Amino acid sequence: MNSPTTFTPVGQDELDWLGTDPVPATPYYDPEWFDLEREAVFRRSWQQIGHVCELPENGSFIRRELEVLGASLLITRGKDGEVRAFHNVCTHRGTLLVDEAQGKRNTFSCPYHMWTFGLDGGLISAPDFESFHVTKAECALPPVACEVAGGLIFVHLGKPESSLREWLGPYANKLDMMPVARATTFSEYVYDIAANWKLTYDNFQENYHLRFIHPSAAGPVTSPDNPFAYPTAYDFHGPHRSQRIWTKPDMPEPTPVQGMAFQRGAACAMADGILGGETAKDYLGLFPNFFLFGSPMQHFSHTVYPIAAGQSRGVIRLYWIGEDETPSERFAREYFMATARDVHTEDRAVIERGHKGLASGALEHLHFQTQESLCRHLFNMVSEKVEAYRAECEGVGA
Amino acid sequence: MSTQTLLPESFQALEPYAVGWALGGSAVRAARRGNSTPGEREAFYAAAVGELPRALDYLDAKGFAAFDDADERLMNLMLSLGHVALAVEQQKGAETRHARDRAHMRITHTPAGA
Repeated sequence: MNSPTTFTPVGQDELDWLGTDPVPATPYYDPEWFDLEREAVFRRSWQQIGHVCELPENGSFIRRELEVLGASLLITRGKDGEVRAFHNVCTHRGTLLVDEAQGKRNTFSCPYHMWTFGLDGGLISAPDFESFHVTKAECALPPVACEVAGGLIFVHLGKPESSLREWLGPYANKLDMMPVARATTFSEYVYDIAANWKLTYDNFQENYHLRFIHPSAAGPVTSPDNPFAYPTAYDFHGPHRSQRIWTKPDMPEPTPVQGMAFQRGAACAMADGILGGETAKDYLGLFPNFFLFGSPMQHFSHTVYPIAAGQSRGVIRLYWIGEDETPSERFAREYFMATARDVHTEDRAVIERGHKGLASGALEHLHFQTQESLCRHLFNMVSEKVEAYRAECEGVGA
Repeated sequence: MSTQTLLPESFQALEPYAVGWALGGSAVRAARRGNSTPGEREAFYAAAVGELPRALDYLDAKGFAAFDDADERLMNLMLSLGHVALAVEQQKGAETRHARDRAHMRITHTPAGA
């Protein structure tokens, strides 16, 4: 148990295997490196894309854009209840099939020539189809590998070498234990950022910056023996990583409205049976671009979608179990969302500033300290995959 | 002169704030915070913070299904108080600059209605 005099940060000896060298700066802004990442990282990884609560009924669908691979995806819940993903592309001549971001229906008709597809991706009808020289079976929507863990929907746009659960390893069970697995709704805010996805993501996997960038939020969670609010533990599994959040043992009194939100929110979380879970302090970083924080009161996910070498989009969600059952619950949820949004606002501003500096080309290297080892791990994983892909390409070309 | 009130009878002290702060939609409430002056925020906060527990108890006792228009406005007023409290209790002097950066974070979905 933490006390003001017993906090010990994770030692470098536990992290030596990650290396200590300066890290090259180019991969954080170079368009050529980014193009390699598209194939080496994003084409070859499971990527979080949504949650099953967005598909509450058979016939529900969502459309998602994965700009990093130039893909538009249609994710449906079929008449059999199965969640499936397809390229949102009419198989006639490639027209994007669905415009709406979400909805419910049994068929999808292409506006161009009215080819009509079912929830399972099959081509149901096409005007004057007898004049074509293919079968309907050959014209089904192109499927995309799609699996669910902890209620979260993941897609794989390449050829998966393992199932999603194998890919996630022990973190799959953690997802199952977290409130997200039971979530039925969420609060969401979205930001665009002129910054590389890794630089953006890294900000959220180190606490070194908290006291400087978040002076209001960090004050109550730091202490003289842990002035940077460093975590109590790190964990790694394959390309994924996690930290265990340190909790200050003698938290100061909350401010009046903050206290009311905590009090009312805690009562709701208790009613939902999610207080005191063993994953409450786990902060998972699932490769390549997804975070989930186990806190029952502010159970948020954060996905950093790459758009270009210097452009990304962040999607932050606070997952909730059940609709707002009482006005107190509604108040607490809106307050918690607004609190998280305030903190992430401060992050966004400084990340853009960081990208601008790096993209100037002024630095050959950047530096990670011991307590920024999760950032180093992400770089190592990306670099390993890019180098392997490069070697493959060179082998093919030789 | 009209005596029509916008809020439930027992919350008459908050009437002066109903038109400006009892707003539907989480994004609208967040934007109202961002567009407000320090004087507007401080006056609303000072008037409403002490009423928050009583307002939530009153609304909880009534339940969403029995809400009338006045109850809905009181709910929205308290939700706006949550946003304003972040400015008054947490951001304090940093709020003006914070508001500019915060505008980049677009609220797109909430259980209350974005």
